[in-house]
Amino acid sequence: MNNNVLEFENVSKTYKMGDETIKALDGLNVTIKRGSFKAVMGPSGSGKSTFLHVAGILDMPTKGIIKINGKETQKLSSKEQAKLRRNEIGFIFQRFNLMSQLTVLENVMLPMIEEDTNKALELLNKMGLSSKADKYPGHLSGGEQQRVAIARALINDPSIILADEPTGELDTKNANSIMQILKDLNQKDGVSIVVVTHNQASADYADEILHMSDGNFVDNAN
Amino acid sequence: MNLYKLAFKNIRRKKLRSALTALGIIIGAATIVILLGIGAGATSEVQEQMNQYMYDVVITPTSSSGNLLMEPQTVSKIKNMSYLYDFREVTVFSQDINNTKVNFEGVNDWKEIKDINGTTGVVINKDTSDKLGLHIGDKITVNDQQLTITGISKPEQSVYVYLDQKIAENVTGNKVSAIYARSHDNPNSTVDEVQKQVNDVSVVTKSDKVADLQETNNQAMLFIGIIAGIALVVGVISVVNTMMMSVMERTKELGVLKAIGFTNWELKGSILFESGLIGFLGSILGVILGIVGIIVFANMLHFTDYIPQMMPLWLIGGVIIGSTLLCLLAGLYPAISASRLNVVEALRNE
Repeated sequence: MNNNVLEFENVSKTYKMGDETIKALDGLNVTIKRGSFKAVMGPSGSGKSTFLHVAGILDMPTKGIIKINGKETQKLSSKEQAKLRRNEIGFIFQRFNLMSQLTVLENVMLPMIEEDTNKALELLNKMGLSSKADKYPGHLSGGEQQRVAIARALINDPSIILADEPTGELDTKNANSIMQILKDLNQKDGVSIVVVTHNQASADYADEILHMSDGNFVDNAN
Repeated sequence: MNLYKLAFKNIRRKKLRSALTALGIIIGAATIVILLGIGAGATSEVQEQMNQYMYDVVITPTSSSGNLLMEPQTVSKIKNMSYLYDFREVTVFSQDINNTKVNFEGVNDWKEIKDINGTTGVVINKDTSDKLGLHIGDKITVNDQQLTITGISKPEQSVYVYLDQKIAENVTGNKVSAIYARSHDNPNSTVDEVQKQVNDVSVVTKSDKVADLQETNNQAMLFIGIIAGIALVVGVISVVNTMMMSVMERTKELGVLKAIGFTNWELKGSILFESGLIGFLGSILGVILGIVGIIVFANMLHFTDYIPQMMPLWLIGGVIIGSTLLCLLAGLYPAISASRLNVVEALRNE
């Protein structure tokens, strides 16, 4: 099995904004190894979110190669990309992005290919939410909603979790609790994690912090 | 969990909007069922009327002659024509009774008069009975002759007295309104021949009469179809509108679904399923409402004999399948819009 879960080879991403061309990523090279926990920090507009979007195949780079588990994502059809997102990547968003019309359990099961209620309940139990399975997201606190989102991200046993400001909407206590869950997932279950954050305290949970500026990593560390 | 369950949940989440959208389809489908149902009933009646024209020619007095009845001499002249045979005369006239205009109609086949209470001979309909306070056994004076009422038929919303054709001829001095006859010759040459020999009569062939009835019926059905079609199109437009609104409102949700691995086809399928489901449920309720409407109209118009013909399976099945397909079509553009959403922009949407 490939030891690299995510590889960026000279990846650039440019946007047109009126007459201006903005370089969001500028020849980025990085490798995320299986079982690692990286935090990405940097000022607004440094390219953190774009890095996460192209890593998660939500957006395509203008130049360069991105590989997930050795598969070159640009060469895949839209259907294959969707399949890769579903099976290999777990997303955690700043605003949780749960479906308000679905119960907690249904939200967790939403991405499942083969429905397995026991597995979803096990994950909810692990997140300390087994008593909330039949509740709707609107009845949960921010911290609880983010834990549901983590369970949803883990449901298909992904190779990597990509989290975009997962503690951005939470108070310190809940933020620490969420980061501890991610840390435990990484250390106990070996889940590879990349967290984009503004918060130093959250970033400190990672085993390495990558600093971004002007579309590239300042230290360009692996 | 599959997206079809999510589509169900979406409909339930926006109950009022889903109900109002479905209402457009319900009204459209009900209008089609009622209008085309009435049309189908009318077609059955026309068919029945056409079946009565088993004769080759129909001879009536010309309207320009001013007479609604043919004189006995004219009748006997026609009946003596060698190329005509198998005659049937009908006498229709009207007369005031107690200041009410009453229509009298000669009857050859009493099976045509439905639900007679009493016996045939001199039958008044329920309307006549109610309006003039007449009952079986009462006497009425028609052209100075006294007739005893023998039966009462069902109401028709007009005042009618049915007389045995022989009695009708008797009270009018052997005058008749129309003569139906078969011809040994070609009906068209018979028309020319009768008009040459008899003054002040109009002669039409069965095919003229049938064509007239069919033409009138076809025009009515076309008009009904257009009105009903407009009603359904309005309903379908409301589905397009609702689904577009739904896609716009759920931009972020659709972005999340894409991000967690749903394919463009799955998203399209979900939107189409949702619009198709609104169409299907709306059309079922519309058909039920339409059937209720037909029963109400049929009772109001005393048209109950034709209720089975007014609800043909092709109409009910066609409305359900047609509405569902139209709503699927209505969901197509919103579905394509949803599948083309840029995930990153959709996730930024609030």
